[in-house]
Amino acid sequence: MRDLYRRLGVAKDATPDTIVRAAERCNNRMLKADALSTLGNAAHREAYDDLHDLLGELGRLRAGLGMTHAPHWQGDAANDFSASPHRIVVRQELLTRQLEIALGRHQTRWRRRCWLAFAIVIGLIAAHIAGRWMS
Amino acid sequence: MAPARFSAFELLLLKSRYPPDTASLLLLAWVYVSKRIALAEDQRYLEVLANGYRHSQDLDTLLEIARADLTAIQLAAEVVLRERVDEQAHPFLRRAIGLATSEGELSLRNHHILRFLSDLSGVTPGAFARLFREVTGRPLTPPGDPSRQDYWQQDEIAEPPPEESAEKHAENAPQPPQRPHHWQRWRLRIVSAHARRRESRLERDRLRQQARQRAEKRRQEEERLERERQAEAQRQEQARQADARRQDQERQAEDQRREQARQEEAYRQEQWRRQQWQQATGAPQPHYRVRLALQVLELEEHASPIEIKRAYRRLAQRHHPDRFHGQGDLRVSLASQRFQRIKNAYDYLMTTT
Repeated sequence: MRDLYRRLGVAKDATPDTIVRAAERCNNRMLKADALSTLGNAAHREAYDDLHDLLGELGRLRAGLGMTHAPHWQGDAANDFSASPHRIVVRQELLTRQLEIALGRHQTRWRRRCWLAFAIVIGLIAAHIAGRWMS
Repeated sequence: MAPARFSAFELLLLKSRYPPDTASLLLLAWVYVSKRIALAEDQRYLEVLANGYRHSQDLDTLLEIARADLTAIQLAAEVVLRERVDEQAHPFLRRAIGLATSEGELSLRNHHILRFLSDLSGVTPGAFARLFREVTGRPLTPPGDPSRQDYWQQDEIAEPPPEESAEKHAENAPQPPQRPHHWQRWRLRIVSAHARRRESRLERDRLRQQARQRAEKRRQEEERLERERQAEAQRQEQARQADARRQDQERQAEDQRREQARQEEAYRQEQWRRQQWQQATGAPQPHYRVRLALQVLELEEHASPIEIKRAYRRLAQRHHPDRFHGQGDLRVSLASQRFQRIKNAYDYLMTTT
């Protein structure tokens, strides 16, 4: 499936008028016919948008998983909807790192609480001495 | 230090007994959510699976996550990718295919999602097509392309397939059990009730089979029509391409001929203009044969006999055929042609001037 919005140079949420004008302007006969029959009709456009979203998601998923050149991801869909792998995150590594951080904090919680209590006690003593010294 | 806020699916994964099972359950929930018509038996199937994986109370959360959260799906895909081996992938794919095709037709969304899942499991397209045929009994057809005009035109031409699920649900409605009105004859009543139930079950089965056969026939006819249309469209396209190519070639040939004619005309005009100019200025032009001979001997217009002789000797030395004796007959013959031309030119020049 081709990304008609990108090929017409039109935003995804464009009004029907914009799309018809862009379709009239383009030179490719097949592209013009496809765009008018798909995006000109409201019901057709809804179905197309649904699949367009799904393919965009799949493109990003594949980029994140390193499957951009897999055997099932070929043809027009792969050409138009592949994402670049630069800005993609590996979720599992994120999760393990978060987990390690949480675990570390959990394991040192009593030590941190002892230090906090100690600091509070010292502060109280200092306040008491300062009060004595003032009056 | 960022606070550790785990999303719903991450919490599920961390608490689960076996994370790959949770991940595959989320992916199956994604397939279920992307179906066109969600049947009750699919919901029951997912519940049974969730019970097996000890996530019976989490199925609703999983469905919500599958609808909304793409990062969770990515995480599940990563878990499946890293921790599932190839042999264990086939049961997961079978379940996914069965879930996606339980209503009959594979929706476009599910087609692309199944392709993604088969890539995730490392299954080649041929193996996936075989799996599909094993599970559904139908061959795998490539998904329609809603960005093409043909898809929407065929949609208009073909009739929408009738809703068989409505029929099946009407037949699945349970028959009310026959209660004994007079308990003296309750045995007879019960026996007759059993007989009636058996008959109704048989009828239901027969009707279901008939409906299935009808649906299969319609599907086969539609497939045949589609194939014929595709073949016709291909033939038309090929004919158009062939015509376009022929026209292009003809245009190119015509352009070339026109260009050649123009060049020749320009050359002739130049020659005519040069003659006119020379006649006007009055300088007597040497005869064209003389000019040709001088050109062959690589000499200027007015050359003295001494220069002609020197040029002849130089060129004859260079192009004598005996110099090319070891380089093959072709070279020798070419050299001898050149040598003859040089010799004729010199003879002509010697006799005329």
